[in-house]
Amino acid sequence: MSGIAVGRLQQERKDWRQDHPHGFFAKPTVANGQTNVMRWECGIPGKANTIFEGGLYRLVIEFLDEYPSRPPRCRFTPPLFHPNVYPSGTVCLSILDAEKGWRPSITVKQILLGIQDLLDTPNLNDPANSSAYTLYT
Amino acid sequence: MADGEEVKEPETEAKQEAKTEADPNLINLRVKDGGGNEVQFRIKKSTQLKKLMDVYCQRMGAQPNTFRFIFDGNRVGETDTPEKLEMEQGDVIDALVFQQGGM
Repeated sequence: MSGIAVGRLQQERKDWRQDHPHGFFAKPTVANGQTNVMRWECGIPGKANTIFEGGLYRLVIEFLDEYPSRPPRCRFTPPLFHPNVYPSGTVCLSILDAEKGWRPSITVKQILLGIQDLLDTPNLNDPANSSAYTLYT
Repeated sequence: MADGEEVKEPETEAKQEAKTEADPNLINLRVKDGGGNEVQFRIKKSTQLKKLMDVYCQRMGAQPNTFRFIFDGNRVGETDTPEKLEMEQGDVIDALVFQQGGM
């Protein structure tokens, strides 16, 4: 099972190297000289003409052995203060929820672009961080 | 001069790739800017990337150090080489506008 996940992630990385959205980065982490393809570190630039412009928001994506049947977990490090980001930094987004919008065909690129879009367009119907939600509304 | 060179690029791309495959010391790199424009480079793996960055600025008609070059989330240093950064064929470097704190 995990063979599928590893193969898919290696292909994702290859595709990313060939073509990725400008200013983003995404790469498997390296610990003790060993590449861990199940755990990636990524950077999302803030969109132009939003309050996030000029920033680079780092996050860690953790893939399960069941990936791509199950979505990965995306966590901002450090946690980002945002209505749809849990205080732990975990992103709450429909396309990252197995019960809602996740589809195995969703690529790392689509995930990161989706999170970039979420920054400036929070969904107030499903808040994950009550103080951010209260301040925003 | 720059125009003439850029027109030639699409034609020679296939040839360049064939050549690069034949010579393991050469690598094709692409530099992309925010507007989606892309410039191709073919350099030796042991060449310092300062050269590539200077040529890119020149091509864009800009002063050297007008851009910040980011590869895999890290700033590319002048003395870095494709070898040192473990770059692979066709890897993309992002060119961002230079910025400086203070002023």
